[in-house]
Amino acid sequence: MSDTPDPRDAIDTAAALFEIPLQPEWREVAAASFATVAAAARLVAEFPLEDEAEFAPVFRA
Amino acid sequence: MSTAIAQGTARDGVEAALARIAEHDGLINAFTAVTAERARATADRLDAAAPAPLAGMPFAVKNLFDVAGLPTLAGSRINRDRPPAARDAFLVRRMEQAGGVLLGALNMGEYAYDFTGENAHDGASRNPRDPERMTGGSSGGSAAAVAAGMVPVALGSDTNGSIRVPASLCGLFGLKPTYGRLSRAGTFPFVSSFDHLGPLARNVTDLARVHDALQGADPEDPMQAARPVEPVLPELERGIAGLRIAVAGGYFARGGHPEAFAAVAAAARALGATTVVEFPEAHRARAAAYVITAAEGAALHAARLRDRAAGFDPEVRDRLIAGLAIPAAWVAWAQRFRRWYQARVAALFRDVDVVLAPATPVRAPLLGQKTLELDGATVPLRPNLGLYTQPISFIGLPVVAVPLWPDAGLPIGVQVIAAPWREDLALRVARVLERGGVAHCG
Repeated sequence: MSDTPDPRDAIDTAAALFEIPLQPEWREVAAASFATVAAAARLVAEFPLEDEAEFAPVFRA
Repeated sequence: MSTAIAQGTARDGVEAALARIAEHDGLINAFTAVTAERARATADRLDAAAPAPLAGMPFAVKNLFDVAGLPTLAGSRINRDRPPAARDAFLVRRMEQAGGVLLGALNMGEYAYDFTGENAHDGASRNPRDPERMTGGSSGGSAAAVAAGMVPVALGSDTNGSIRVPASLCGLFGLKPTYGRLSRAGTFPFVSSFDHLGPLARNVTDLARVHDALQGADPEDPMQAARPVEPVLPELERGIAGLRIAVAGGYFARGGHPEAFAAVAAAARALGATTVVEFPEAHRARAAAYVITAAEGAALHAARLRDRAAGFDPEVRDRLIAGLAIPAAWVAWAQRFRRWYQARVAALFRDVDVVLAPATPVRAPLLGQKTLELDGATVPLRPNLGLYTQPISFIGLPVVAVPLWPDAGLPIGVQVIAAPWREDLALRVARVLERGGVAHCG
């Protein structure tokens, strides 16, 4: 996973896709928040998983 | 009002609770609705009937639970326009069927996307241990109402720590059962993958009694597991002989203030727990929970963000907008990692029965505080209050948060964590800590 492009671009794209009436001050905070999520996603992405790893919605002892 | 069973009649208990609410809630701001007439009518019916297990226990619920006749706010301004709920949430019905008496609905962080107990619309719930400090959230009103003695028990929800964080900051016992144990029907959701419901109380017996009352199959919750009712109250006094109790090391032994670790050490000493175990990749588990939370929460609220964005609490809105930008692949990675992590932690529980970990990295911060100092770094407060709770709810493990008082200052919680479906073990350990005077509500 490459470094995220400017997170403002991601916010602008999402706002267009979901028809969000984005205000400039919201955009800055949302972009910072997105950057934090991207860092978390990068941490997850770095972990090698087998192709067979499936979702786990059910828990057993 | 610190004990479960009201002395005298159910009506006496209700009147005493209403008096406490009238006396304290102006300052504490725990309630968003008090259902006094309903409570009196329920109590009178109970007093005329055969004794019930909860014996007239007054209780209140986080305002994301449906309460017949009230709009289900979920801490929001937007939901005030919803029609009143036609009937109570499943767990509210279970409580009243067992002899509980609903006193009202409680303040919470907007749409449960919160660890502080602050709310832009209703104002912050205030910590009864020090009203200048946070309750923690998002079940902030639930913790405040119980810590102030307004009700002996409150129900809350816990997606990433929203029962355990306020239990820690307000000095209470809180139970987050196994994911899928209790029906979520009739509550406003947040993150379906992680949403849990459970009680906060002033003692372990009340937690167990209420947990037993709440259990039951509900066809209206598609995520509820097919489990029998497994009462914990009969097991509660069995003690810890034979139980293998360990302390969580690694991730859970870093990043907090000294009192967080002092509390864990005190609990471990009292229990004779010397083994240290490590939840593998716990930091990555937290990261994965963060991604899934942001994405599922945003998806839930996308239409409201389109139509009524200005009606959100700004602290919530901008994070939800960010969630709409998350690629689906990130969520899939996080869910697949969750499977890996769940399997590794399940293996860990083959060698131990219960694990102790801090509940929060700090005691109750001041209201309005935005940052924390953790390990010499200044970090944002909101996400980091859930530092130690998030990797546990990520895989649905049952946890009892127990309140310790490591010095003369404010309380702080310890998580007593068990394998899936072993709420009984976590509650037995919590009960031993309570009986020994190590964990208590002050």
